Amino acid sequence: MQVTYLVKRLNPERERSPRFEQFSLEVGEYDSVLDGLIKVREELDGSLALRCSCRAAICGSCAMRVNGEPRLMCKTRVRDVAEDGQVKVEPIGNLPVLKDLVVDMGPFWEKVRAVKPWLEPPPEKPEREYLAPNEAMREVVGALACVMCGACVSNCTVWEVDPNFLGPAALAKAHRFVADPRNSDNAERLKQLGEYTGIWDCTHCFYCVQACPKDVAPMERILALRREAIAHGYTNHNGVRHSDSFAQSVKQSGSLNEGRLAVESQGYLNLPALLGLLPVGLRALRAGKMPSPFHHKRPGAAHVKRIFEKVEGPRS
Amino acid sequence: MRAALEAKRRHADVALISKVHPVRSHSVAAQGGINAPLGQSDTWESHAYDTVKGSDYLGDQDAIEALSREAAQAVVDLENMGVAFYRGPDGRLAPRNFGGASTARTYFVGAITGHAILHVMYEQLLRAGVKIYEEWFVTSLVNEGGFTAGLVAQELLTGRFHPIQAKAIILCTGGCGRVYEPSTNALICTGDGMSLAWRAGAPLMDMEMVQYHPTTLPSNGALMTEGARGDGAYLRNALGDRFMSKYAPNKLELASRDVVSRAEQVEIDEGRGVDDGLGAKSCVYLDCTHLPREFILERLGEIYEIARQFANVDITTQPVPVRPGMHYMMGGIKTNVDGRTRVPGLYAAGECACVSVHGGNRLGANSLLDTVIFGRRAGAHAAEFARQVEFRPLSEGAVLDSERRAQEVLGRPANGDSIAKVRMELGQTMHQYAGVWRDGKGLNTALSRIYSLKERYQRAPVQDKGKVFNTNLVFHWELGYMLDNAEAILVSAIHRTESRGAHYRTDCPERDDQSWLKHIVLDYRPGAAPGIQYAPVTITRWKPEKRVY
Amino acid sequence: MKYAWYPGCVSQGGCPELYTSMAKVCSVLGIELEELKGAACTGAGVLTERNPELADTLNARTFAMAEQVGAPLLTNCSTCQGVMSQANAKLQADAKYRARVNGHLAAEGLEYKGTAVVKHLLWALVEDYGLDNFKAKVVRPLAGLKAAPFYGCYILRPTKALGIDETPARRRYLELLIAACGAEPVDYDGKFKCCGFPILTMNEKNSVNMVGTHTLDAKGHGAHCMVTPCPLCHLNLDGYQIKAAGMKGQQINIPILHLPQLLGLALGLSAKELRLNHHIISTQAVTALAKA
Repeated sequence: MQVTYLVKRLNPERERSPRFEQFSLEVGEYDSVLDGLIKVREELDGSLALRCSCRAAICGSCAMRVNGEPRLMCKTRVRDVAEDGQVKVEPIGNLPVLKDLVVDMGPFWEKVRAVKPWLEPPPEKPEREYLAPNEAMREVVGALACVMCGACVSNCTVWEVDPNFLGPAALAKAHRFVADPRNSDNAERLKQLGEYTGIWDCTHCFYCVQACPKDVAPMERILALRREAIAHGYTNHNGVRHSDSFAQSVKQSGSLNEGRLAVESQGYLNLPALLGLLPVGLRALRAGKMPSPFHHKRPGAAHVKRIFEKVEGPRS
Repeated sequence: MRAALEAKRRHADVALISKVHPVRSHSVAAQGGINAPLGQSDTWESHAYDTVKGSDYLGDQDAIEALSREAAQAVVDLENMGVAFYRGPDGRLAPRNFGGASTARTYFVGAITGHAILHVMYEQLLRAGVKIYEEWFVTSLVNEGGFTAGLVAQELLTGRFHPIQAKAIILCTGGCGRVYEPSTNALICTGDGMSLAWRAGAPLMDMEMVQYHPTTLPSNGALMTEGARGDGAYLRNALGDRFMSKYAPNKLELASRDVVSRAEQVEIDEGRGVDDGLGAKSCVYLDCTHLPREFILERLGEIYEIARQFANVDITTQPVPVRPGMHYMMGGIKTNVDGRTRVPGLYAAGECACVSVHGGNRLGANSLLDTVIFGRRAGAHAAEFARQVEFRPLSEGAVLDSERRAQEVLGRPANGDSIAKVRMELGQTMHQYAGVWRDGKGLNTALSRIYSLKERYQRAPVQDKGKVFNTNLVFHWELGYMLDNAEAILVSAIHRTESRGAHYRTDCPERDDQSWLKHIVLDYRPGAAPGIQYAPVTITRWKPEKRVY
Repeated sequence: MKYAWYPGCVSQGGCPELYTSMAKVCSVLGIELEELKGAACTGAGVLTERNPELADTLNARTFAMAEQVGAPLLTNCSTCQGVMSQANAKLQADAKYRARVNGHLAAEGLEYKGTAVVKHLLWALVEDYGLDNFKAKVVRPLAGLKAAPFYGCYILRPTKALGIDETPARRRYLELLIAACGAEPVDYDGKFKCCGFPILTMNEKNSVNMVGTHTLDAKGHGAHCMVTPCPLCHLNLDGYQIKAAGMKGQQINIPILHLPQLLGLALGLSAKELRLNHHIISTQAVTALAKA
């Protein structure tokens, strides 16, 4: 079929800001977007810069954005994404562009290096392999299936406002070790990951889950790390208080009490933070949207409490 | 990376230079697993014998013994470093079956074993603090007084050429799959190291031995792991028959790759092929449909995805059309068991090297093993060598030479054939004449075409005239390397007038141990045809016999 | 046309204007709502993160209640929609898991059979009610109003559980409805992004930065207001906009409308009926336009 590729280009030796260039080409039914880009490079413009290698979605070189969505170009069929015969290709986001579709992966790897990206096995070596349940290995394989392509980082909404955030790929990598029964330093890892730039900074936007071409679901792994952190006793965090307060509220009444949530997340002893809530609270009060301090129970709240106790156990 | 790690562990000052980021290297695509005689009833001798037999007796048995003796420890080491191999109910490593093996000894991580190992290697490099120059492209190796002095590399980001002085260099540059079109290999597999070493005075060996993998997708040449057949998948022809019973009555689908690929090609040539989706009956079926869906998704998830993406087939419910496709280079830079080449200080390991453990045909899951065993040995020996010698001066002229070549290429008029065109013709020529079937006439035709392509290459222009990330210029360098590789493959294949392993000559279909139980070794000769020599095959305990699967 | 209405916690807490406007708009459109008064919170992702089975059980309970009503569930919150869609996908795909969850519900005499359909008002209007039928009810076209859609993460991703893989147009419904009201939808980068609400208590700086980035983005593209189907987005974009303006050092002042408020204006309801005066950022710019 005949398609038009709209390719975002930047030649840093000649121009300051990127421009879109149009290419018309013929692609086959099963051709990937990458096949088309290679065709452009080989037949229409040899100066088009992009990274690609394996063509089989395993080397992780060719993450780009097609019609706005970050994907591996070799794993994306043209016919699945072409809109009115048009395919818009841009470099992945949140990383500096070096040339055309090639980005500087430096900040990406910097984050990976920051999570101590190797297994720390126990000091006493076994005679042969470490014993480990296959289910645990399969869980680990789910995380290590990551090909480090950067698609998850591309549209990360936290990275966008705070480049210090470790980001989905590095945190998924961290989970790969924490989930590994052979790893011996989970406590230290979880402590570090619980600090600013770590697991509690993720905003649940699902962009990384959607973007990941290998179904690693980085966000789910970040949430798993939060559970692990709590299980390791790292509970002095607004994220934990927020979760506890939320659960208590729903458990007691069937619904959420936002007023109490805001206060309890800071901790009753955290005076500066509580004072910080005041202006927002007062504005809400003036607008008549301050949640009532007298939170009413929903009908059937007793059953909700019973479900909590049955499923969650005595914890909350 | 295994070589760099070993050298670093032995306190050498190590840097790793790669034209791509290390985790993009093509080992990442190895799917099925890595062999090791770890099972209770398994022995290194059994693994070695299978490897010798798989090689069609062309493998050097001293090297194969080293491979098999060290395999168990190498796989355990990988596990200890973090590779998440699949386990059995007892929590111990659990193997799967693989082609050409007399017992299950292939340890695996789903269908991403290479990926799992490669990433762990990278982790260990970070841990050890090895300096990495990523996206640096090597344009020449430099000798001084017959010794390795260093190399010249182009930094892709800036286009600058840099001299790097080194007492020892270990080439771990992979195969040259892109010399063929199609190929299962990544676009980066352009035989750089083989050509660089060859031109630097290290000979190439067994270059005629090119493996065609039996199960590749017709649409883009993607690989469907041998692990599928190891886990029970069948091959069927258009009549629905499991045709392998005719060719390998004992091992059936799990005969060695050369045997299975030829069997498939016979079925296809004799009209029992199935539709490839491109209008020809050039395939057979790989049939997993009798295997439980859950089992497939757990152990073969990667190829489930690949088939869905590139063939539109759900392998849990439909058979997928596959055909033999160029996959692996048994030949390469001639080394001994420590990775040493003829040039002092120059080492090679992995697919670019020829020790030779694979001989005429490599067994599945022996390639990852080859990389870690001989990578480690080369790293150890190179570190020791570097301790004993002094740096050699690296002349300014070497850098100037690369710069001058780049200038010449960038300055060419735009009217020559494009690099892409020359490369495509090269690939198609090799596939047509130096594939599963070969004969003297075809091989000679191919060789004369390669020489004419070499001439056209000298005039091929580069469109991108810039400095930053000029991939166009990289393709130019690569094509030069590929043409060298192609020439070596064809010269060796023409010379070997017998059929052995993956090298099948329809004009001389029998194995001829009398004349050809020896390696063909090629020397590079500037401006002339390669010099041909022989090397004996080392035989320690397994005498050649007829090969039946 | 009848729905089992799930108003969610926020419309009964921090955003009472949403509850009111939702009820009024449905009434004008002739959509019958049976409110599920006993349904619990969806968990808003927080409970799923804490304990997936717990959250799925609470949602299965709501689905069972909707099955008893015999009508599809109607939500007015992107987050409720997302959490319920994901829980429903899981419960529908895995009968074993559903049976296990039903085990927790048995004491209340409830059982989820797996038939629930969960639709946000946004989807229900386009897919069930019909845009043309809606347009026929518009009495006060909002000509001249430029409205920036802000969807909320949970109604966009993951696309599989939300049915967006089958119905990609769900990513354009807000624009369609804005246009159906006679207003002009504004295209800008932020429409599919995160409002920052989930990390408000963990990293207020980043959260408020998101508010500032997206509100300024919308404003920069000429929007008079933003429209969201998610009350949590509203809480952050409205409630923290003043703080965001301080952080960014720029005036922002862009009103954040709940989807039913925009619809209600076009349907002829008054600003007061839609409780447009109950916002932190004044909605006068919009109500003035609607009067003209």
